[in-house]
Order: sequence, then C-alpha cells, then structure tokens
Amino acid sequence: MIEISSAVQQDKIIELLNNYSEEGTQFSFKDKKGINLYFETNANDLEKAAKLAKSAIKNQPWGSVLYFRSSPAK
Amino acid sequence: MQFLTAWLEKYFLPIASKLGGQKHLVALRDAFIGTLPATMAGSVAVMINALIRDLPPQFIDGYDGNTIPVIKEIITVNGYVWNGTLAIAGLIFVFSWGYNIARAYGVNELSGGIVSTAATIAGITFSFTGGITGLNLDQATVDAINEAGWSATATDITAAGYGWLPLSNLDANLFFTAMIIGFVATMIFVKLMLKDLTIKLPESVPPAVSKAFASIIPATVALYVIAIFYFVFSKIVPDMTFLDWLQKTIALPLLGLSQGFGAVILVALFVQLFWFFGIHGPNVLAPILEGVFGVAQLENVRLFHQGGAELVIAEGYHWVRGSFDAYAWYGGSGGTIVLIIALLIFSRRKDYRTVANLSVGPGVFNINEPIMFGLPIVLNPIMFIPFLLAPVVSVSIGYFATILGLVAPVSVAVAWVTPPFLLSFLATGADWRAPIVTLVAMLVSFAIWIPFVIAANKMDPALGEETEHDDQKYAN
Repeated sequence: MIEISSAVQQDKIIELLNNYSEEGTQFSFKDKKGINLYFETNANDLEKAAKLAKSAIKNQPWGSVLYFRSSPAK
Repeated sequence: MQFLTAWLEKYFLPIASKLGGQKHLVALRDAFIGTLPATMAGSVAVMINALIRDLPPQFIDGYDGNTIPVIKEIITVNGYVWNGTLAIAGLIFVFSWGYNIARAYGVNELSGGIVSTAATIAGITFSFTGGITGLNLDQATVDAINEAGWSATATDITAAGYGWLPLSNLDANLFFTAMIIGFVATMIFVKLMLKDLTIKLPESVPPAVSKAFASIIPATVALYVIAIFYFVFSKIVPDMTFLDWLQKTIALPLLGLSQGFGAVILVALFVQLFWFFGIHGPNVLAPILEGVFGVAQLENVRLFHQGGAELVIAEGYHWVRGSFDAYAWYGGSGGTIVLIIALLIFSRRKDYRTVANLSVGPGVFNINEPIMFGLPIVLNPIMFIPFLLAPVVSVSIGYFATILGLVAPVSVAVAWVTPPFLLSFLATGADWRAPIVTLVAMLVSFAIWIPFVIAANKMDPALGEETEHDDQKYAN
C-alpha cells in the first residue's frame, strides 16, 4: 500500500494511478482519509512504487505545481 | 474547506498549472537551478574566505589572513574557484537558459545553449577606453606611453585596448540581457529547427556530426538576427551597449521595486498561501524568487567578494533570495521548526506529538514534508492563520533588521538544507548578529503558534485517538 498526501486534484490522482501500468507496476485506489489517498500496488518495493507514482503525477500538466507527498503507507 | 478546495481546483489550479507548466517559465526555472553546481561552489569559496579572512578581524586586532601562510594560499585557491563560477555567473546562466529552452522544444539542447551564449556575448563590447587628465608629464614619459600603444600628451593619457571582456558584463549584470537576448535567439533557432530548415547529411555520418550540421542554418539565422538588432540599437543609442541600456532602464528599476517592504511581504504571503493549499509556492513563483531576488543575491555575492559586508551594505540589496531562508523559512517554508517545538511543549494530542517527534530530524535540515502532511498543516483550518502570519512577521523582522543596519544583508548563497542558525550566520558572510535576528524571529513565531497549538488541544477531546471524526475533519 502506498499513501499519496495531496490537498487538491485528488480525483485526477486517483484516475491517473488507477490507469497506471508502467514497469509492470499497477495501483488500485483503496481509501481516502482527509488529504491522504491510499493505493494498493502489485509492486514488492513500496519505496520504488511511491517514487513511480510521484513521478507520474509530477509529469502531468496539472501535477507540476502540486505540493504533495508520496510514500509507503504506514 | 471542501468548498474552497473545489473552488481552487476549478478556477485557480488551472491558472497555477498553466503558469507552473508554461514551458518557458519551466525552462527559466530549470536554467536557474541548472547553474547551482557553479553558484554553490562559488558560494563555498566566498564562505570559506569569509570565515578565514573576513570574520577573524572582527575579534582579533591586526589579523590579516592574506599574510598568514596556508590561510593566504587557501584564499588564493578560493579566488580561482570564484573566477570560474560566480564571477561569470551570467555567462553560465545564459548557456543553461538556451539549453533548457531547446530541451523544452525537443531540439538540439547543446546548440540551443551555444546559440543563446553566442547571441548574448555578441552584444558585449570587447574594447575599453579610459583616460586621466590634468597631468604634468615630461616629454620622455609622453614618448614612452605613445610608443607603448596608448595616447599621451603633456597633460592627458588616453588608454585604449581591444580583446577584453569586462567581468561586469559576465556576472549577475548579464542575467536580464541573457533572459531577453538568449530567449529571442534560442526561440528563432528552435522554430527554424522545428520547421526542419536544416542541412541533412547521409545516415552514415555519425550522429554528433549530423546534429551539429543540422543546427548550422538555424543558429546562423538566429545570430544574424540578433547581430542586426545590436547594429540598429547602436545607431539609435550610440553611447551604450544593449546590456548597459537594459540594466539602466529595466533591470535596476525592477530590482529596486523588489526591495520595497510591500513586495517582499507579498511574495512571502503568496508562497505561504500556495503551500497551504497544496501548491508548490516557490515553483509557481520561481520567475520572481529566482529571476528577481536570485539575481539581487548574485549581485550581493559579487559585492561581498569584492569588498566584504561593508560594500554590500553600501551598494547591495537588502533583501534577496536567501533572506527568506535565513529569517522566515527555518525548518522549511512556514518556519515549521518553531511549530514542532511548540507542539512538543504545549500539545496534549498524541497524534500531534508523534508527528512532531518524527519531524524534528528532517526539520533541523529544513525539510518539513513530515509535519506539512503528517499533522497536517495543508488545508488544516486551525493552522491557516499562524502558517500565514508567522512567516510574514518573521520576514518583517529580518527585513527591518537588515534595513536598519542591525545585521548585514544576505550575501552568500547557502544550501537550503543548512540548519537554521548556521544558515543565517553563513548567508550573511559570518555576521554573528544574524543568528540572533533569526532567534528573535523564531521567538515571535513561537508566540504566534502557541495559542493555535493549545486551541488544537481543545478541539479534540480524544487527544489523538484515531476516530472517524478525525478522518473527516480535514476533508470538511
């Protein structure tokens, strides 16, 4: 499970990661608590999965200005 | 709060996204960031010289680092580092600028950097003249000077030379010219490259050669357009280079405007607002933070290298890019290290104390994601007022302390991960009063945060027990 903390564009983040499938890594939205979004992933390396998710968001036209955190869920 | 977030997403974020994703502004931001290896290396040299040459005389009578073995050699080595970095910061930037514009358009980056550099340097004068009048020279001296290639009479000497690039045209003074000329030249180059107006070589030719050949026509056209512009400009304004004119009419007034209290506070306020709503403030405001305050800082660094803190105070800028880090963004944007301390002392909430404990380590190095998202501060209504107010007050304290001469202006670039007091000490060229100003700003911020931390205690009777109510409160 990874955790994305973002105050805005949550719907777009969910849509983006639900449709993500690069480097064999996939995400599936599971839960939302306040500004935190939780995604299941098939990746074993959660640190790497979190970095992939962060990179995917940053590469979006709407993502470059977001201030957010992507990390393995605690 | 949910309504505000929805409103932001609908109306504000598209504008912020366009601004933050605008390829030229992104290229400009990346161009500044790209110069970091050089500017930081140069700043290290300035900082070491400040510590071994400029600081000791404040405490030790008769100290002169330039006469002490080993110390004087280190000072000389630092001089070389300076020569290759901050002394030519504008030159390094102009290449980085062209490179990043070309990269944004997906054309030959190296050629983009070269075109930008060549076009900008083309407008710099390579000759110099200078004279002394009111002399009383004997004939032998006049003859000797004339034979050496200068021009002398019994009362005047006129010196002239060719083949010199004035250093004052390659440092921070070059930035605004580079931003305009480098941009126009590189854009001409880019557009022609995209129109495929290129020389094509057989596929057997190595890629490096064919790429360079492909750039020849676009680069030549771009450089000729700029050269013709310089020519026309020299006819209209015969006594000035374009660089000098731009400095006088645009750059200096713009930098002057940035020094007003209102401008500084406005920038500080907007950065906080952006952060609070989950938008990367410094990224969106990079053209102002780096393009204006960053350039002012480079000028201060140059002055500091040339004449120490006294010259910066006399001729430099009071508020520059690093001033925000030194006096307001300790522990990260928002001065959150103070909040962490306030939480550890006054918070009775288990969740807040846990986050604060986890945030201390990163916070010392000005990394505040753990507290920004862990508490969270982002979109947390009770944190809104202190998160905006504390940095604005801190900036005011740092600003007026500098304006009133209580502390030297920031004149050394220091990595933002440097711990707070050390950061302001080093950034001001080892002014021992700077950490005291930082401490005063911190104490005032601390006082601002305390009531809100205590109020947060009262807001949650469960004191940190994870409840559904907890989950909802940030979303609403």
